Amino acid sequence: MMASARAGLGCAAAIAALALLGPPLAGDPLAQPDPLGSSLLAPSGAHWFGTDQFSRDVFARLAHGARTSLAIAAIAMAVAGVLGIAFGLLAGSGRGLVAATMSRVVDLALALPRVVVLLVLVAAIGALPPAGLGAVLGLTGWPAIARLVRGEALALQHAGYVTAARALGATPGRVLVREILPGTLPPALIALTLGVADVLLLEAGLSFLGIGVRPPTPTWGSMILEARPHLGQAPWLLLAPGIALVIATAAATLLGDALRHRIAGDRA
Amino acid sequence: MTPLLEVTNLSIGFANPEPITAVDDVSFRIDRSEVIALVGESGCGKTLTGLAIPGLLPSEARTSAGSRVVLDGNDLVGMPEAARRRIRGARIAMVFQDPQASLNPVMRVGDQVIEAIRAHGPVPRAEARTRAAALLEEVGIADAAARLDAWPHELSGGMRQRVMIAIALAGEPDLLIADEPTTALDVTIQAQILELLDRLRRARGLAVLLITHDLGIVASRADRVLVMYAGRIIESAPTAELFRVPRHPYTRGLLAAVPRVDAPESRLEAIAGSVPQPGRWPPGCRFHPRCPVAIARCGTEAPSMEPAEGPHHTACWVATGAGS
Repeated sequence: MMASARAGLGCAAAIAALALLGPPLAGDPLAQPDPLGSSLLAPSGAHWFGTDQFSRDVFARLAHGARTSLAIAAIAMAVAGVLGIAFGLLAGSGRGLVAATMSRVVDLALALPRVVVLLVLVAAIGALPPAGLGAVLGLTGWPAIARLVRGEALALQHAGYVTAARALGATPGRVLVREILPGTLPPALIALTLGVADVLLLEAGLSFLGIGVRPPTPTWGSMILEARPHLGQAPWLLLAPGIALVIATAAATLLGDALRHRIAGDRA
Repeated sequence: MTPLLEVTNLSIGFANPEPITAVDDVSFRIDRSEVIALVGESGCGKTLTGLAIPGLLPSEARTSAGSRVVLDGNDLVGMPEAARRRIRGARIAMVFQDPQASLNPVMRVGDQVIEAIRAHGPVPRAEARTRAAALLEEVGIADAAARLDAWPHELSGGMRQRVMIAIALAGEPDLLIADEPTTALDVTIQAQILELLDRLRRARGLAVLLITHDLGIVASRADRVLVMYAGRIIESAPTAELFRVPRHPYTRGLLAAVPRVDAPESRLEAIAGSVPQPGRWPPGCRFHPRCPVAIARCGTEAPSMEPAEGPHHTACWVATGAGS
């Protein structure tokens, strides 16, 4: 196994441990035991990563935020994956006006800056629950997957085994699902893994701008937003979610890269 | 007896970038359990002819009006695509040149055979698996039941081509179109695959259209040979007859270019010049610029297929004696 794959797995394991084991250990992320006396406490044995301005435990918020952020990423990737693969497969396999139109739709969607679209969407809909934000991120993420899958599907139209399947009477639907779809999955999987990093950062960015997940549900982005006014006094408020975000993004990027090397190596 | 397949006046062209004809007025017939070889150099139109029969031409290719491909009395050219699809695999199956590319790399070979069986009728999975093993055994794969679980990359080229033939047989077709089935294989494996096709013809009454550039392959296996040059069939004869007295100067040139073990002293002859590309065919007989015996008429008037002797036909003014 490559060093980057090992590093990626290590980062992913750390984040997974935080999301799985953290919440039961840390307790309630919303509890404000003593807003006047114990706000902005430095890290200690009682509060591993300190407390915020409302005396909430930062570790508890970080652990619950990990669950929220990862759930949002998973929903976004599922939506982008299903839509992108289905759309790309049809655009790359169909003929004539319909396929051409679908391809232009993908080009058009890719030409729109994702952040601007997200800002408009979220501004129009209002504050969202985590699942809703994941869906919106997926809805803006599928065109990249669709373009990739379309290219692969186009190339596979001329693969020997696709012609052979047609020569033996396979229906167009069967050719699409059994012969072409499996060949497009490896690159789509790589793109989706790399896309997790984008989604984590976008979610943090939206939450930082105050238009992501509705407070007081903790996400890493909203934690960074809330930490900003207290930066000089309590830097741990910013460091904890910031470092977690870096580790999670690195995990997705390194794993996606390792997958790509592995698959490209197999093809060579 | 009506032939199994009758191709008449088949012409195939491309519209872009400029209109060209790639296959020009080709006619031939195949009887049941007959092996016909379609021989010619690259670019002569033999592969397009093979693809046109089950309706698998690339979308930019056009068959001209009047082209007919009649299978048991039904014209496939005018048939709706859905009906033609039901004929593919069930009546007409195809095997291609590159067995490496013809198997889906992400499916076990057994599943690919089973799919082919189940595509042609409702067969329970367990029974399909038994039949798949029997098919692999029939095409000469040792330890067939265990091989069902192999991945394509675990098999040799010859084995893969056997699997492709097994898949082609799954629908119990009457006609197998084999487009250069042995070109990508070692010589010894080539012989085994040809022997397999011959055995299937005898055991199943399978008719085979063997498309090849290699006259050596034709010599031992085909009943009849069709020689193609620049989009046309220029000679048609029973195999032994063709090798004994080739009529067309192009066929004579081809035979002279085949190395022979029984005449070690002779030099190999090459035909002067090269095959003209579609769209750059000369007027008259398309072979006349390269022909050693061409006469004036060859440059102006295209010869059609005429009987030379018995079942032996050729399209040559000189050979059919019409030039004088």
